[in-house]
This record gives sequence, C-alpha cells and structure tokens, in this order.
Amino acid sequence: MNRTEATAVWGFGNPVGLGTLVKRELVRTLKVINQVIWPPIITTVLYVLIFGLSIGSRIPQIQGVSYAAYLVPGLIMLQVIDATYSEVSSSIFQGRFMNSIQEMLIAPMSAVEMVLGYVIAAVLRGLLIASLVLMVGALLVHTLPRNWPLYLLVTVLVATLFCSLGIIFGLLAEKFDHIAVLTTFVITPLVFVGGVFTTMRFMPPLIREVSLANPMFYMVDALRFAFTGTGDVPLAVSLGTVSALTVIALAVALRMTALGVKLRV
Amino acid sequence: MSANDSVPALKIEALSKRYGEFLAVDDISLRVEAGDFFGFLGPNGAGKTTTINAIVGLASITRGSIEVFGHDNVRDWRTSRTLIGLAPQEYNFDRYLSIRDILIYQAGYYGLRPREVRARADELLERFGLTSKAKETFVKLSGGMKRRLTLARALIHQPRLLILDEPTAGVDVELRIELWALLRELNAGGTTIILTTHYLEEAESLCRNIAIIGNGRIAAMGPTEELVTQHGPATLSVTVDRAVETLAPALAARGARRDGDPRTLYFDGLSPAQIAPTLAEIEAAGYAVENLEFRRANLQDVFLELVRR
Repeated sequence: MNRTEATAVWGFGNPVGLGTLVKRELVRTLKVINQVIWPPIITTVLYVLIFGLSIGSRIPQIQGVSYAAYLVPGLIMLQVIDATYSEVSSSIFQGRFMNSIQEMLIAPMSAVEMVLGYVIAAVLRGLLIASLVLMVGALLVHTLPRNWPLYLLVTVLVATLFCSLGIIFGLLAEKFDHIAVLTTFVITPLVFVGGVFTTMRFMPPLIREVSLANPMFYMVDALRFAFTGTGDVPLAVSLGTVSALTVIALAVALRMTALGVKLRV
Repeated sequence: MSANDSVPALKIEALSKRYGEFLAVDDISLRVEAGDFFGFLGPNGAGKTTTINAIVGLASITRGSIEVFGHDNVRDWRTSRTLIGLAPQEYNFDRYLSIRDILIYQAGYYGLRPREVRARADELLERFGLTSKAKETFVKLSGGMKRRLTLARALIHQPRLLILDEPTAGVDVELRIELWALLRELNAGGTTIILTTHYLEEAESLCRNIAIIGNGRIAAMGPTEELVTQHGPATLSVTVDRAVETLAPALAARGARRDGDPRTLYFDGLSPAQIAPTLAEIEAAGYAVENLEFRRANLQDVFLELVRR
C-alpha cells in the first residue's frame, strides 16, 4: 500500500469539528467586518451611479431592463467571487504560515470536514455579500431577482467554486503575493470581460467567440437569468458549466487536502 | 497481568521517513509503556521532531507503523489522534481567538462541544495561571505564559498520551522548575508523557526511560538509570599527601591509574560500596588521603559517547 495515499483522511464523523471550523472562519470575518461589508456596498453604489445611472441613461434597455438594473447581477458576482476567494485563500495561507492550521491537522478532522467547513463559511459569507449588493440594487434601481431559487443556487455554486479555488491557491502559495497575482491578473480581468458591463450581443463576433471560453461569463449569465429571465446562452448551458467547474474545483481541493499537500510533510 | 503485557501507549515498528533523498528517520522501533515518562533525546536534526510529526499525523510515513494504545495511526487515525495531546515546539496559536477560545476551539476540533469543555477550559486556565489573560489574544502573553498555554491546549481534550516537543526551550530556570512539577503531577495522575529535550538534566530528572536518537537511528534505549551506569562508569579520584612513585599491588589490583598529577589516583568503574575498602587500602599503603571525588556519569557523558560514534 502506498503510505502517502493511506494518510489521506476521508470520511465524515466529526460534525462538531466541522462546526468549530465554520465558527472559527466566521469569527475571523467578524474581526474584519468593516473590510467585509463596506467595500462591496461602496463599490456597487459607485458602479451603479456612474455606469448605470449616468452613462447608462443614454443606453437603451438590455434584456428588457434598464442598463443600471442590467449591471446588478454582474456586480453581485464580482463581489461574491472576490469575498470568497480572497478570504479563504488568505485564511489558509495564514494558517500555513503561522502553523495554526496544525491545530486542526493533529485533531480527528478529515479532509471532507475541513473542506466542508471552509465551504460552508464561504457560502454564508457569499450570501451576506450578495444580499448587501442586492440591497443597493433594490434601493437605487428597484431590481430584485424574479427567480429566487435560481439566484440562491448560482450564488451558492459560485461561492463554493471560489472557496475551492481559494483552498487550492491558499495551499499552493509560497508567498502572499501569489494569492494576489491570481486575483489581479486572472480573476478580476476575466470577470470584467465576462459580461458584467455589457451583453455579448454588443460585441464583435471574434470577442464573442473568445468570451465563450471565459468561465466567468457563464456565472454572470446564469445569475442574470434569475433577474431577467433571459441570457446570452441557454440557462442549461450556463448553469451546467458553473456546476461542472464547481464540482471539479471542489474535487481538486478535497484531494489536495486529503493528501496534505503543503500541509503534512 | 504485568505491565509489559498491557497495551503500550506507543508502539513504533520499523519506522522510516524519507524526504526525497534524505532519510530523516531510519528504521526506528520503540515501545513506550502506558504511564511511562519517556525522554526522546538527540541533537538537532537527529529525527526527533520528524518522529513526533509521524506519530501525530503531521508527517506521512514512508515505511513502518505506529500504534497509539493499540490503534494504528493511519488505519484508525481518528482514535489515535484523539488519544494524543501535542505541545509543539513552535507557537502555533490561532491569532483571531482569545486565550480561552483557543482552548474551546481546540476541543471543538476534537469533537467536544463548548458546553462540555467550558468548565475544563477555565480550570486549566486557573491551574496554569492564565485566568487574568483569558480574554486576551496570545500575542499579549509573556514567554512563560505562552509555554503554559501550549500545555493547557494539549490537555484540553484529556489525552492519555501527552507529547511535548522541547517544552522548556528558552524558558527561565524558575518556570522550568514549575513546568517540571506540573509534568510530574500529570504523570502521577496517569498520563503517559513523551518529551524531547536538549537539556540532559531535564531528561535525567524527569524520565524513567529514554531513547537517544542520532542520524535518524536509535543509538541507545532503556531505563535512564541503567543507561547511565552502562555507558558511563563512575570514577573515584583520590588525592594523597605525596607523589605516588610505585603502585602498591593491592591498589593496582583495584585498577588504580595515574593521569598527569602524580598525587592523584583514579579508579574507574567503582560502585559506591567499594569506596571505603579502596580508601582503606590507600592508607594501608602509607598515604594520607587529602581529597577525594566520586563522579558518576550523567546523561551528558552517555549522550556524547553515543552520538560521537
């Protein structure tokens, strides 16, 4: 038997341990609550005011809604992605850096319990952030989801996906810089060109083709479907893509945690 | 049933741990009986912390097996981990939690609910003199308090095997004595203790059994007392009133030797009971004893001798 494989810790049997991790992650969020709550609110207000209400007033309706209302789902995704990825990756990186993650590693906590703990905390944080942005949207441009279950489903999936990516990169990062690199050079640009500000129908054909390879496009499109009831691609395609990406990222995060990549020597 | 038949607290069989080309632990086997106070000694880089990491699950095992109270630490990892409390060498506390919460959350990872452990957490804080700092974070603690917190956290889930990696490194004499007393008390209460240390006097004073590790292998293992007598004989040195020109046959028979100072005689490997007859023979040979010194080997000698090999 390969001993490295054997050290992998699967199974579910310590719900109290899992709950402790969720609580610990939320305590960590609460300690920096001003950093968590205000940036999404202020950024969203600025985007809606500048792009939506001033410039947007010269743009005709898109998918049956005003441009300002069209922006809201994309802004929700932007903030949920940022909040889940950066929180989880820095929590794990700090835990590794200061060794405090060992408190969990020496305890009877399986990889499933650890990953699930981070995911549940990230989903709760993601839902909180999404509600804040949603509230701004409701107040300023009177837009709310028409399809609440779909809104919740997409938000939960995207929070899970970026929590998993946060785990993966929090484990791989050797310096704090490495975490920021992914945000700055990959996530943020992809979200911006992923249909937050404009529909694909306004884009030249070549860019439209390229956009289809951008995973963020499907997240924004699926969430917008919950608001407008229509999208650039069929809902089955966008939701299917988001679900598949989430399952893959979650599986990789689980496997890495079970093998103890950069956790257990 | 004698103690030797009962399940050992720790059984390591043919453990090896390889990091790439480097063999950090090379085929180690050892057994620590339940209730023992066991010392794990060796120079830096000898493989002590690697072995501990393998026991607690922080390092994977290349070859061999580890059982904690009969539970394999890979197949039956949940039980094995629950039975162990680890006080690591480096501080690894959660900076977002208060001192009291550090204990309560650690218990949570072991599957214990806050309401089950609050009273115990407060009791440990009291016992380790941390009550006044219960609401602070760990950065506000003094060095000694951090050490005590390490120990309190290791004990929160009432482990049967307490593993301490250099518990008194960088600790002043007063606190060291205080920690020793705490450890003796815990051991007397039935907790099996394994500690690694650089301070040989610490191992000699606390541990009933020791293993000395060097270059990833066990150089010697056994009861502390036995190892000391086996590897480092006692020496009696007697200084007399004048230079010893020729050794009387009776003294030569006792193994007397001279070394430098012509007025001093050395006798190696003497037991304390042989001191008086030896002195009588020196006087019978016509010398007056002016000074004498009986030096028993200590762990330092054993250690140096073994590690030099």
